[in-house]
Amino acid sequence: MKHANRAGPSFLAPALLIIAFVLLFPIFQTIVLSFGSNSTSIFIGYEYAGLANYQRLLNTPRFITSLNNTILFTAVTVPIELLIGIGLALVLDRNFRGKGLVRMAVLFPWALPTALNALMWRWMFNTEFGLFNSMLSDMGLIAERINWLGAIPSAMHVMMFVSIWKTSSFMALLLLAGLQTIPDDLYEAGSVDGTTRLSEFRFITLPLLKPAILVSVLLRTMDAMRAFELPFNLTDGGPLTSTETLSLYAYRAIFQYVNFNLGSSAILIQFIIIMTISVFYILMIRRGDL
Amino acid sequence: MTLFGGAAPGPGSEQRGPRSSRRKPVSLGFYMVAAFTVVVSFFPTAWIFLTSIKTEADIYAWPVQYLPDPATLENYLNILRETPELLGYILNSFIVATTTTFVILACGGLAAYSLGRLTYRGRNLILILILAVSMFPPLALLPSLFNMFLELRMINTYSGLIIGHAGLYTPIAVWILTNFFKTVPHEIEDAARVDGASSLRIFWSIILPLSAPGLISTGLIVFIFSWNEFPLSLVLMSDNFMRTAPVGISLFPGEYSFPWEIITAATMLTILPILVISGVFQDRLIGGLTAGSGK
Repeated sequence: MKHANRAGPSFLAPALLIIAFVLLFPIFQTIVLSFGSNSTSIFIGYEYAGLANYQRLLNTPRFITSLNNTILFTAVTVPIELLIGIGLALVLDRNFRGKGLVRMAVLFPWALPTALNALMWRWMFNTEFGLFNSMLSDMGLIAERINWLGAIPSAMHVMMFVSIWKTSSFMALLLLAGLQTIPDDLYEAGSVDGTTRLSEFRFITLPLLKPAILVSVLLRTMDAMRAFELPFNLTDGGPLTSTETLSLYAYRAIFQYVNFNLGSSAILIQFIIIMTISVFYILMIRRGDL
Repeated sequence: MTLFGGAAPGPGSEQRGPRSSRRKPVSLGFYMVAAFTVVVSFFPTAWIFLTSIKTEADIYAWPVQYLPDPATLENYLNILRETPELLGYILNSFIVATTTTFVILACGGLAAYSLGRLTYRGRNLILILILAVSMFPPLALLPSLFNMFLELRMINTYSGLIIGHAGLYTPIAVWILTNFFKTVPHEIEDAARVDGASSLRIFWSIILPLSAPGLISTGLIVFIFSWNEFPLSLVLMSDNFMRTAPVGISLFPGEYSFPWEIITAATMLTILPILVISGVFQDRLIGGLTAGSGK
């Protein structure tokens, strides 16, 4: 039945107003600011500077470092999260006693505030009084306490580890949604044909899980590319700038060096990269490749 | 239609046919994997809790003292006595996250009803545009929002941060709720319409009650997002007494020293609601997340 609807569009008004005020206009202003100089607003004293900020960024070693850090961080964490996520999702797809506890165990890291979680790990990786140094030393594996977060490249490795710990569960939950749409009949047909667990996974589960895998990898990639509070609270971008991500670099450009224009350009470059990756993924999802 | 096919999984969607391989008894190895998952997942929180109930001397000891001896609530009491602003941060987080949740459910619910159940031109385009703007990194909002809110005198106000959070998470809520609303049968709505009920009335008296599980799921997810949100809270609340818990704790007290006895105790207090929610409402959360992603 067709619902007559003049009321329809007006119901959108409150949500669209908030979105326009908090998302659309600020994004527009950030874009304009990235082409300006010495200005913090597009209304007062805006000076157009063309691509100057972008050129400056591409010639700034610290920016390039943060770009490399972000890409390395994303490229390492997302595939590992995918593998762990598939494993966890397969566990959650079964019925067994105590499943509630395991489900809570998968949800909980996802639900923790990233900022506080970063602090928790910072304490556990503490050099002088940290749990890990103590355990390793008790097991006789290390003689000297390791300065995990104060050395290159271990700080980056810890940051990757923390991210994998926290977000594999998110991957698992998205993949579980995909697993649950696979009809039982397929597995039953497989068991009649005498398939092994491995070939069942290879020939039934994996192909049907592909769309879910692509979506979750896309969402996680976008998220990893904009990591901010993790380095902010775990390493403060250090030592030197070895764990400074694009977001952290942009934040510092804006609020510590009070260069709104340069910071806006950095964010825009980040967005263009995220956008390119997303379009690439979405095209693959559409074409059904991979 | 959904990308994965089928409607949003509701309660009971995990039920399998009795002959499914997924119902086969699980092995010992499987239980070991499950147990390992539980241990790894709760391990950091357990350690933070143990740290928070140690005396200060035991916290800063080498070799590390694994179990608290004696266990003490002194660190928690010290928060009450010496740094009550930490409790203020948690209260701020509570005010912001709760109000944000209701604002989003009201605005997002209305929008999702419009997009999911009413027919008019361009609604799919609007849904896609709403999702597209939410793909912008939150950092992209910071320089502009900071200036706008400064001009509007909304820095360091609850309403400012609530509007900010509402803007951040309305898109995801619209997305999840649209999928939930689509599962409400059209027959009931059609019957009401024949009886002359207006769209607003149908939304209020039929759609909302019938999609209560979806509203609860969405509300919980949005609450957690707002409770945990960092960049906007960091920039829009610069006054020490207006900070939210994640920001306040991470900036406490200064840049160089970390009073871990206070930080671990305050962290425990802040993540307690998260722990409770993810234990009690796991079905609702998973239902909401899967309804939001699988499309």
